Amino acid sequence: MKRVDCLKAIAEETGDALAICTVGGAAAEWNAIRPGDGNFRCRTLGLVSSIATGLALALPNRRIVAIDGDGALLMNACGLPTLARQSPANLIYLLFDNGIYEASGLRSTATKAGADLIAMAKGAGVKNACWASSVEDFMEELKSSVTRKAFSMIAAKTERGIEYLKSWRRLPSFQHGEVENGFRFMRYIEKTEEIRVVPLPGPRN
Amino acid sequence: MAPEDGPKIILESMKEAGINFVTSLPDFNLAKLIELVDGDPEIKHVALCREEEGIGLCTGAYMGGKTTAIIMQNGGFLNSCNGLTTTALNFNIPMLLMIYYAGDIGDEGFSTLGSVTEPVLSGLGIRYYVLRKMDEIKNTIKGATLLATDSRRPVAVLLTKNVLGTRR
Amino acid sequence: MTRYDCLKGIASEVGQSLVITIGGGGSTEWGAVRPGEGNMRVRTLGLVQSIALGLALSLPKRQILAVDGDGALLMNLCALPTLAREKPDNLIYMVFDNGMYEASGLIKTATGVCADLIQIARGAGIKEAMWAPSLEDFRDKVVTSMEKRKFAFIGARVESGPEYIKQFKKLPRFDVSEVESVYRMMRYIEKTEGISVVPPPGPRN
Repeated sequence: MKRVDCLKAIAEETGDALAICTVGGAAAEWNAIRPGDGNFRCRTLGLVSSIATGLALALPNRRIVAIDGDGALLMNACGLPTLARQSPANLIYLLFDNGIYEASGLRSTATKAGADLIAMAKGAGVKNACWASSVEDFMEELKSSVTRKAFSMIAAKTERGIEYLKSWRRLPSFQHGEVENGFRFMRYIEKTEEIRVVPLPGPRN
Repeated sequence: MAPEDGPKIILESMKEAGINFVTSLPDFNLAKLIELVDGDPEIKHVALCREEEGIGLCTGAYMGGKTTAIIMQNGGFLNSCNGLTTTALNFNIPMLLMIYYAGDIGDEGFSTLGSVTEPVLSGLGIRYYVLRKMDEIKNTIKGATLLATDSRRPVAVLLTKNVLGTRR
Repeated sequence: MTRYDCLKGIASEVGQSLVITIGGGGSTEWGAVRPGEGNMRVRTLGLVQSIALGLALSLPKRQILAVDGDGALLMNLCALPTLAREKPDNLIYMVFDNGMYEASGLIKTATGVCADLIQIARGAGIKEAMWAPSLEDFRDKVVTSMEKRKFAFIGARVESGPEYIKQFKKLPRFDVSEVESVYRMMRYIEKTEGISVVPPPGPRN
């Protein structure tokens, strides 16, 4: 199963959802599949689930998708019980587990050694958490998540290795730097939600 | 000495310094070094999920008579600050922090991380040495390990692409 | 079931085991039921399991016990897959789950709401993880693991609350500070293992 095929399914099923995406290949692929200001690129390994939860709680009527990886989630497994406690109904958390630190030298993560992130999530109290066994299965689970209107977590074991890495390294680079991406993301939320996010600068002096 | 030999020389220096217990979390630039450490039968290597664990592992291993090091990126060093303070510094536990210096001069994409690294090390009172030259690897790593043992504190060596053989 | 009773039940069984406890009630109680040089109280929430693992790996012939709490373990769930990868047979990890931050204002932890630490540990790859439903069972699990020299991960759901806290606050205070206790433990390890941990100071000048 390729992560990029699952990402295409997400783009199809979740429309204009706000997306919080982890660093590395997933961000490059997601940006190529669904470019735009509705994507936030998280730079801190492990904080995708936390940022997405905060956003989902702040915008309860907006669909939020979190796109994360195994290395990142393992770095903040503590975020799982917090996520379970909040379980925002408008959040879908998508995890791609390739068993390696793809962007940092292809070394194995603990999932390669037997850690099961969905089992950990269930243990943490996440009710709707499952593995998808194929792209079709992933699509099905995603559809049910969208209609379920309850917090859902879907994980997929995806392809790993140097060839795959080369394929996403060839993707177009981002149009904006990460800081500008953050501002554009907030302005996009302001426009589509008709709220004020970034206050006006202080008085002229 | 070619920069590609950096990881090998770093490992040799660590072993000459007596290090026999290493914890790590990878960065792209550290992958070769970690691979060598992992394959070395004289070193017990523990792969981490978060860097702060490594501070605890090194503390426990030190109490069991090992000489320890943690290999991580500077982002991971920031992740370890509480453990460094309330365990390593608080209990006088020596350990060698082998930190890849992302955002160093000549690097791209990590300038914020690079800019806070040395001030945070100073703020914690952790002495650090930046390794930019191949011919300084041995003395720096051996000296830093001795300093850690003697001062009974963590001591950091900031590893740059020059010595990791990853400068493009 | 209380943590104090669980600890009292095993104190006479552990011999010269080295015991790493989390600060707070657990360490006070353990210090009362088995005072001595083989105990370390940890100051960093979440590092009990990592310190105990490091110690167990470096002294493979010595029995190591770790006494942790739910709030502390929740702070470093990332360490569970690491523990799962190593699983030294001389380590017994015990977690007392009272569902609250006992030493910090009795506020609920995630286990008091939805998270199951044993299920999370199993998900992380620690298949040995088990709840001990009673005092007898807890003692039995600890003693059996020591006898058979097997790695164990034992959870116990225990009572706590304002009344309980009053009780352990009446227990004797530690005889030495935490820093001195670590030096004392290291000298104890040197003596009982015949190794050098803390080298003599450098040459006089």
